[in-house]
Amino acid sequence: MGGIVDELGINLPTLLTQVVTFIILLVILRFVAYKPIMRMLDERSKRVKESMDQAETVKEQSAHAEEELKKQLGEASREGQERIARAVKAGEEVKQKAQEDAKKEAETLLNRARAEIQRERDDAIGEVRREFADLTVLAAGKVIEKSLDKEEHRELIDKVLEESSTEKKE
Amino acid sequence: MAEPQKRGYLGCSFPVLIIIVIIALAIIILGFLAGPIGSKLIGEMEWLSWMSVDEPEPHLPAPVLFNVLGLPITNTIIAGWITVVFLVVVSWVITRRMKLVPGRLQAAFEFLLGWIYDLCGSIAGEENGRKFFPVICTIFLFVLFNAWLSLIPGFGSILFGHHELLRGANTDVNTPLAIALVSFVFVLYFGLKTLGISFFRQYFNFGPVFHSIGQVFKGKFNLMGIFSGAVGVFVGLLELLSMFIRIISFTFRLFGNMTAGEILLLIAAFLVPWVLALPFYGLELLVGFVQALIFAGLTLVFVTMAVSPHEGEAH
Repeated sequence: MGGIVDELGINLPTLLTQVVTFIILLVILRFVAYKPIMRMLDERSKRVKESMDQAETVKEQSAHAEEELKKQLGEASREGQERIARAVKAGEEVKQKAQEDAKKEAETLLNRARAEIQRERDDAIGEVRREFADLTVLAAGKVIEKSLDKEEHRELIDKVLEESSTEKKE
Repeated sequence: MAEPQKRGYLGCSFPVLIIIVIIALAIIILGFLAGPIGSKLIGEMEWLSWMSVDEPEPHLPAPVLFNVLGLPITNTIIAGWITVVFLVVVSWVITRRMKLVPGRLQAAFEFLLGWIYDLCGSIAGEENGRKFFPVICTIFLFVLFNAWLSLIPGFGSILFGHHELLRGANTDVNTPLAIALVSFVFVLYFGLKTLGISFFRQYFNFGPVFHSIGQVFKGKFNLMGIFSGAVGVFVGLLELLSMFIRIISFTFRLFGNMTAGEILLLIAAFLVPWVLALPFYGLELLVGFVQALIFAGLTLVFVTMAVSPHEGEAH
């Protein structure tokens, strides 16, 4: 057994030296390499996670904002539509009113004119009648060669005329 | 715009390529003639003697160069220290000014360590992987750079007295044995720390057989119980044995591969000087990497096994 150990070169001092060398390497690398690297890896993964979370939040926010905007747009559009409709209605009303007014005015004017005409005609008829009565009286006087008392017969003539006009109407 | 047309082969213009090929062929032929095979076939050629390499005399024990305070310092110890200094300096230079957005060197270093860290995490789980990582990574880096640094041309050719000043630390059986012992203690430590005294129950599994024998006195004779208990004791002792055998297999796997590789390179350089060693250098790069990975990976697997409770075996 000792021969094999010697042949291979196993000896305790060298073995211990190598163990110590390894442990020194382990300890130094722990401080020089592993801790900084682990910290960096952790920090990087944290950053990535954070930024991903942030991106998610931003995305959510933007989606929310978009929805809000869409809603507002829809509202605005609806409101505009409503206003237009109202304006159209108001215009319609104004138009109708104006038409009605005009119609009424025209009617009034027409009525007045009609009344005027009526009155004028009545006047004219009255005038004619009076004229005619005078003429009749005059003519009758002429016919009977006798001057008829105008005032005396006025009543009579009127009566005749009345009768004649009623007859005519019938 | 199209790329400029590449003329010739392998990025060289055709005449240059021919010259290179001729030089390479001349070196191969001259190397073959200068080596022992060519000499035997054609006879000694004096004018080629400058090319030939002395016959290597490999010896397994590392020679002691000098003593410090009674400690013998061998060339493999010095090589191990050089690996340590190299690793520490490189790590320090890289991690001195760490940036969140890494430069090339930092990215490469982070990639290597991050790869091992992921390996630890994937085998031992997130939490344990973090605990095991420093030791595993140190084993990996130490073995790997012991192997690779000894491949640097001229590494073994500096003489100190009658011996080489440097020799790959892995080729001295003490270094693999030291790392194997560290690995053993590491596994034992974490096994005990995690499982406590029940860590030993898988190796000294006497509980079931005593239980069965106790049943006999109570009047319940259960042959199967005694038998399976005895098998359990036997298996536990085998496990215990295998734990110690692991030290030996760790040691000689690494030592054998590395020493064989070094001797292979020496013999190749002797047989056909200048030429034959080149492909084996590539092979040795791969072997060094694989051995480092095996050493670190097996340690990781063993320590993971040691910290996982063996509920199934403890009846």
